[in-house]
Amino acid sequence: MFQYEKIGLGRAILIGLAALGVIAGIYRLFAGLGATTNLSDAYPWGLWISFDVLTGVALAAGGFTISAAIYVFNLKKYEPLLRPAKLSAFVGYLVFIVGLFFDLGQPWRIWHPMIMWNPHSVLFEVSWCVMLYTTVLAIDVFIWTLERWRKYEWVAFFRSIYVFLIVAGIVLSTLHQSSLGALFLLLPEKMSTLWASPAIGILFYASAIIGGMGMVILESLLSARAYGRKPEMDIISSLAKGLGLALVIYFAMKVTDLYARGVAVWGFDWPHLLFYLELFGCVALPALLLYFPEVRTSTRGLLWSAGLAAFGVMLNRFNVSLTSYGGYRDFWYFPSFIEIILTVGLVAAAILIFDLGMRYLPMYPELTAPAEAH
Amino acid sequence: MKAMLIDTTKCIGCRACQVACKSWNNLPGESTRFSETWSNPRYLDADNYTRIIFREVTTPEGDLRWHFISRRCMHCLTPACASACPVGALKKLPDGPVVYNDEICIGCRYCMMACPFQIPKFEWSKAIPLIRKCTFCADRQAMKQEPACSASCPTGSLLFGERDQLLKEAHRRIGMHAGRYYPQVYGEKTGGGTSKLYITGASFETLGLEHRGFRTDLGDVPQGMYGREWMAKVPWVAVAVGGLCTGLYYLNKRRDEVQTRQGKED
Repeated sequence: MFQYEKIGLGRAILIGLAALGVIAGIYRLFAGLGATTNLSDAYPWGLWISFDVLTGVALAAGGFTISAAIYVFNLKKYEPLLRPAKLSAFVGYLVFIVGLFFDLGQPWRIWHPMIMWNPHSVLFEVSWCVMLYTTVLAIDVFIWTLERWRKYEWVAFFRSIYVFLIVAGIVLSTLHQSSLGALFLLLPEKMSTLWASPAIGILFYASAIIGGMGMVILESLLSARAYGRKPEMDIISSLAKGLGLALVIYFAMKVTDLYARGVAVWGFDWPHLLFYLELFGCVALPALLLYFPEVRTSTRGLLWSAGLAAFGVMLNRFNVSLTSYGGYRDFWYFPSFIEIILTVGLVAAAILIFDLGMRYLPMYPELTAPAEAH
Repeated sequence: MKAMLIDTTKCIGCRACQVACKSWNNLPGESTRFSETWSNPRYLDADNYTRIIFREVTTPEGDLRWHFISRRCMHCLTPACASACPVGALKKLPDGPVVYNDEICIGCRYCMMACPFQIPKFEWSKAIPLIRKCTFCADRQAMKQEPACSASCPTGSLLFGERDQLLKEAHRRIGMHAGRYYPQVYGEKTGGGTSKLYITGASFETLGLEHRGFRTDLGDVPQGMYGREWMAKVPWVAVAVGGLCTGLYYLNKRRDEVQTRQGKED
């Protein structure tokens, strides 16, 4: 009972923040982008694109990563992590879509890419993949709802097309996670050479997998703590090992890319400092930490290393889309109060929806329902 | 295809083109301000499709010389904005203009990010904003009239015509008056070629404009091609990843079945 009330306070704060976000969103719709944001002709994209869109999607990559690990690479031991990972992916994409809605100049035209096609546009492909993938994730959540309602004949129907959903999820994620990086293929001259790479699509894909794994570890540990469960430490440790490996591979990719392009990597200005923080502080350091079994088996060690890795992915998205874009003209951008409040509100709402799903949907099927008996 | 030759050595900085552009496009006037740049308005924006940049540059001989450079949409042959726009709101017309469709734009501003010349501007002051930029007076061209700016130019600095003929004329002028022009036509190959062709008295580096709308590091490949090349690969990636995943999924399933059967037999 005490435990429940403690979470209750946290929820009250989250609900308050989400409500503030709603107010900020309504104000933005009526006042317009210019009045509510610090965006300008020199900085057309700001916090909402860097965080809500690029970071949100990258950190929601856990759903397809775990799904691929289980069904494609046959690592069945990760099955207990699958549903929470997919739920957080679904919530992440909802945040992305709502964030994008407020960022668009004409939000009610958000559906236009469905019927107005430009097959040459990377952003066109991203919007289609995101629409379809969110639908796939929504079907997943719907299946769990059916399980909760004990509509097993319906569940059986969805199981029969399950392979299609899995493959579609992986294909769509592969395409749009990399294509979000490919958006920046068109503007190399406006970016710092540290990030303006022709390989940016593949780098985005690899780092999204890192972000997804990091987030799955974080949310497994944190939700276990919040709901007073024991975390599945052996599975999480094994996933952390995978994360360490992914970080090493990503580090090698980054170094190869920089070397192949002959980039001047040593310098002492803002881009370089951010670059060092990203590559050494948030890729190399967590990889090194995860090398030690003591770190992989301790909750604190896992929280730190997975947190660093996920933060590194966020930093990378900000560096590519925002800090690297700076210095092009004599202008400066820092998000406005409304931009920050709306983003904070979105994150709060995401945690609330995730919490709702965790409490009311069968997230650990082997523990809750005889759903497998179809 | 129509184009415009902009000979900046003939420009006297009278700004008749700016006024003509405002009147034809029905754009609001605004109070001007002094600044160290002399240029007014100071930046292109949703209400200013063209402006003249004033530049005072020291020649190698030590003299001061004025340069007046008209800036507006370059109307690229393969525009990055048109490659970027997810809904195809920006299009290159066969006659030359790159035009924008108010009705379908979703306001994502990717065109603003993608344009190597930083031309598309957003109506930040409006609650329901759209993209605004020079249209090459596509509406006037449709009525067989030349663009408002070139029609108003008193010195012939803005010359409207067929692109191939204007290119010939540009090279003729450069060849005739050695020393008067920087020996390069900006826009002939820049960014894959543009419908605005510039001949100037000095290079854009000398004018200090290579990072202010007249980039000289773009190469001959249109920026939009990088996105188009990526999109050409996408279907193959989808098929490959999809096929691989489906195959491995059934392989794993089969392996599990065999394993359980063997387990039962044991």
